[in-house]
Amino acid sequence: MKKHKLDNLIICKRCHTLHKKIKLHRNTKALCKHCGSVIYRNHHNIIETTLALSISAIIALMVAFSFTIMTININGIYQELNLTALFVVIFEQHFYLMGIMLGFLIFLFPLAILVSIILLLTLMHFRRSGYLVKRLLILTAKLLPWSMIDIFFISILVSMVKLFDYAQIEIGVAFVAFILLLVLDIIINKQMRFNELWRYYESIYGVKNEQS
Amino acid sequence: MKASTELKMSNHELIRCPICEAVNLDKIGEIKCRRCGELIYKHKDVSFNRTLAFLMTAIILYFPANFYPILITKKLGVTQENTILGGIMALWEAGSYPVAIIILLASVFVPILKFIFIIYLLISTEYNVKSSKIDKYKLFYITESVGSWSMVDVFVVTILSVLIHFSAIQIVPGAGATAFALMVFFTMLSALSFDTRLIKR
Repeated sequence: MKKHKLDNLIICKRCHTLHKKIKLHRNTKALCKHCGSVIYRNHHNIIETTLALSISAIIALMVAFSFTIMTININGIYQELNLTALFVVIFEQHFYLMGIMLGFLIFLFPLAILVSIILLLTLMHFRRSGYLVKRLLILTAKLLPWSMIDIFFISILVSMVKLFDYAQIEIGVAFVAFILLLVLDIIINKQMRFNELWRYYESIYGVKNEQS
Repeated sequence: MKASTELKMSNHELIRCPICEAVNLDKIGEIKCRRCGELIYKHKDVSFNRTLAFLMTAIILYFPANFYPILITKKLGVTQENTILGGIMALWEAGSYPVAIIILLASVFVPILKFIFIIYLLISTEYNVKSSKIDKYKLFYITESVGSWSMVDVFVVTILSVLIHFSAIQIVPGAGATAFALMVFFTMLSALSFDTRLIKR
């Protein structure tokens, strides 16, 4: 089989069934015939929409990380939860290993993913520096399973339920920003297929650096 | 007719690059992806042993994670220690059943299920257990996607330790929390280093 023939094939992410690609109509999607998951979709301006969504996601992320998530009030004593307080308290109690893990999982990795998505989509939009785009695409794919921002949000909800009986809870600005960030994150992950981005990459920059 | 021959090919000669999702020809030994140039898989024995090693580490860490306290409450000089199961029991008795079920699922069942799935996949690839390959691929996909959800308990403990931080009452994460976080980390590494090529054989 030749290389250009392999490009017409696609393997389902979930059940590894081989499919032959067909041309899709505008804004439709192709489903796996075995397990029914979406394999690829036709999205006529995937770069621009995803770029817009990820810029708003990074703004939401900044707000979520710099303001208070919630304030609790136990008999007139207030205590607020924000990300800096989280790390300060963990390091004060000498949980260095957990502090480092948390720092990567809920702060650095999500930030790095969003920054690299924005950077690579901007570069693709202006058709600049193919090598950097390639490295960024690989980096994003490798980082993606390590972002735990959604799990962190569920944990915030769980701890709110736990505190419900003892304290009055006031929701902060960052909490709303978190919800926004999660919704945007879900949409971006649904929309952004690496397969499609790589196809765009090849059509923009050509396949010249195949050997490297 | 053509589709059926291609489907046969998928079992023998074609694999999917986990990074850029391009279809690649399968060769023996190391493969570099034709599109992104990354190393797809190393030799299959390397992958097998690495998965096993990470899995063993995770299983060993599972015991301190469950027997050491994950949460320490200091209330007017009296310390009370809670393990994961103790915390779930307390939640259940307090009447918040949905939360108790979420934590039970996320931090007790998910890790055990992951261990069982990965062990099953490793055994079935080694000894040619006869079962459908598509089921195995699905099983692997589930293990991969569900893994990080066990971190919920660790995050809850850290959030509580930030919020309940007064002089009279204080919540401190215990040694079990660190062990638990490390266990989740190693199960994720184990799932990531599993080579889907092993399923084919």
